[in-house]
Amino acid sequence: MFNLLKYEFIKKYKLISITLISALVLNLYLLTRGIAGSSSFLLLFPLVLSVLYVSDVIRTYSDDLNKKSGYMLFMTPNSGYKIIMSKLAAAVIEGIGMLFIYFLFILINGAFIIYQTRRYVDINEVMNDINTLLSGNIGINLGHVFVFLFAVLVFVIGFIVTVYTAMTIRKSIFSEIKFGGFLSFIIFIGLNWALTYVSGEFYSIVSPQYNSFVNVTTVSASELLVIMFPVIAVSIIQSIILTLCSGYLLEKKINL
Amino acid sequence: MEFNNNIPIYLQVIEKIKQDIVTGRLKAGDKMLSSREYSTMLGINFNTVARVYKEMEMEEILFTKRGLGTFITESPERIKSLRYEMAQKQIDDFIRGMEQIGFTREDMIKFIAENK
Amino acid sequence: MNGNEILKIENLTKKYFNKTALEDVNISVEKGKIYGLLGPNGSGKTTLMKVIAQLHKQTSGQVFISGNPLSYESKSSISYMPTENFLYDSFKVKHAVKFYADMYKDFREDYAMNILEEIKVDPEFRIAKLSSGLNGKLKVALALSRNTDLYMLDEPLNGVDVLSRDTIMDLITKSYDETKTFIISTHLVSEIEKILDSVIFLKDGRVELFGDAEELRLSKGTSVEGLYKEVYKNV
Repeated sequence: MFNLLKYEFIKKYKLISITLISALVLNLYLLTRGIAGSSSFLLLFPLVLSVLYVSDVIRTYSDDLNKKSGYMLFMTPNSGYKIIMSKLAAAVIEGIGMLFIYFLFILINGAFIIYQTRRYVDINEVMNDINTLLSGNIGINLGHVFVFLFAVLVFVIGFIVTVYTAMTIRKSIFSEIKFGGFLSFIIFIGLNWALTYVSGEFYSIVSPQYNSFVNVTTVSASELLVIMFPVIAVSIIQSIILTLCSGYLLEKKINL
Repeated sequence: MEFNNNIPIYLQVIEKIKQDIVTGRLKAGDKMLSSREYSTMLGINFNTVARVYKEMEMEEILFTKRGLGTFITESPERIKSLRYEMAQKQIDDFIRGMEQIGFTREDMIKFIAENK
Repeated sequence: MNGNEILKIENLTKKYFNKTALEDVNISVEKGKIYGLLGPNGSGKTTLMKVIAQLHKQTSGQVFISGNPLSYESKSSISYMPTENFLYDSFKVKHAVKFYADMYKDFREDYAMNILEEIKVDPEFRIAKLSSGLNGKLKVALALSRNTDLYMLDEPLNGVDVLSRDTIMDLITKSYDETKTFIISTHLVSEIEKILDSVIFLKDGRVELFGDAEELRLSKGTSVEGLYKEVYKNV
């Protein structure tokens, strides 16, 4: 497994380095535009990064399934389960890495903004100020941000898994039937719809339990986590089931 | 060594080794290359060489010393009889060929005697 | 099942929606022999190898390696060299060697590096920049550097210049020993027939002929190449 992951990242490192360097350069340029530049970077960056991330994650699996270079991976004595799990683990690690990079940029730009308004920088002050800034204006703190981002990661991974599963189906059981590509796409849509539907049902069953703490106007970070728990859990469970299905298909039914 | 792919290769190798023995290129008691080395050298299949050695062992032209390898027979009588076998074959082919073009035995003997 | 059988293919059929690539193929491959898998393009040679290598799934039929049905573990017993250029373009030659060393426990890294030196492939060269001849030699070198039971080489002489073909044939005979089995597919029959033990002729996905090379020479009075021309004269 370690070797599989190692090669996943070896193949990506060029792309990742270029992205980071460009981001750094862009950020430095926007800092010259003052606070406006800095905040616009903080807003732009996650959007661009997410798009790059999702397309990279989809592309690496697609290349392995559709290009001849995929033979390198599929000739190795690894079970289909191991292969799909390494792909997923790589996607998760890459996602967490991206989040982490984003936080670093938040700290850099945050420090810059504070510096611009207060003229001295002290890490703890900065952290507190960021917190107060957020709590003061919108009623959330850093904890909420973490929970929110964790949920986003789970959903993005869930989405990626549905894409992976549809691609795996296309290259296994639907590889030789007419309109296999179209049918796989239908399955992809179906899986996403099913997830939304099941989450909704699960939430409506569980939500009466939350009335006790949802009645306050502000919710703490841990309470937010509990509220989001049903949708997060459904997504995680679906991801696990689909990953196992993909693993099975890769193991027994693959047709490159 | 060039091979004719139309006839079994092992027969061609056997022929070559026999030639080498009667011409003295290979001497009584000489050690042959291992099947592996010989097959790589000739660019042919390993099992073909193994078969050559086996067949020639049955003809008592080669023999194997356990753990040491395959050797040419040490018996001068065997080598002499080999030379004789090969000569016999040449004669048979010659006679057959000459008969096909209409020579009698007397014609053949006369032809040879007068041959420059 | 016989103890000397490394590979058994039973009633193997592979159908695509518009054609049948393999039809009811039955083959028994003995350990320690070099097999030529012969036939023109489209006869099913590549498909057969890909099914054994588990890159394609058969429509029906079974394949057994050393008596065991195919599983991901069988891949450790098989060293397959596809006919296509499958190595990662972004890699340098040395990275490809490292990849094999990391992924296959039986890979002999020193052996590989020695071969690369012999065939004049520079480890620092980028794979994307290799000529088709060097790429062909690299693929063979990687496949032969694995120390395993069954080697399947799909058209190892393809795209390789005449001099290099001798080098590759040499590499194959040097890496052979009685514990190893080779299946080599090619349409360049004359170059390869000297090293073959047995031949399998595929025609339109079916086994047309199967036999010992020397026996065929003896009984048919012709080379394997001559036989090939006869079998496929209308194709």
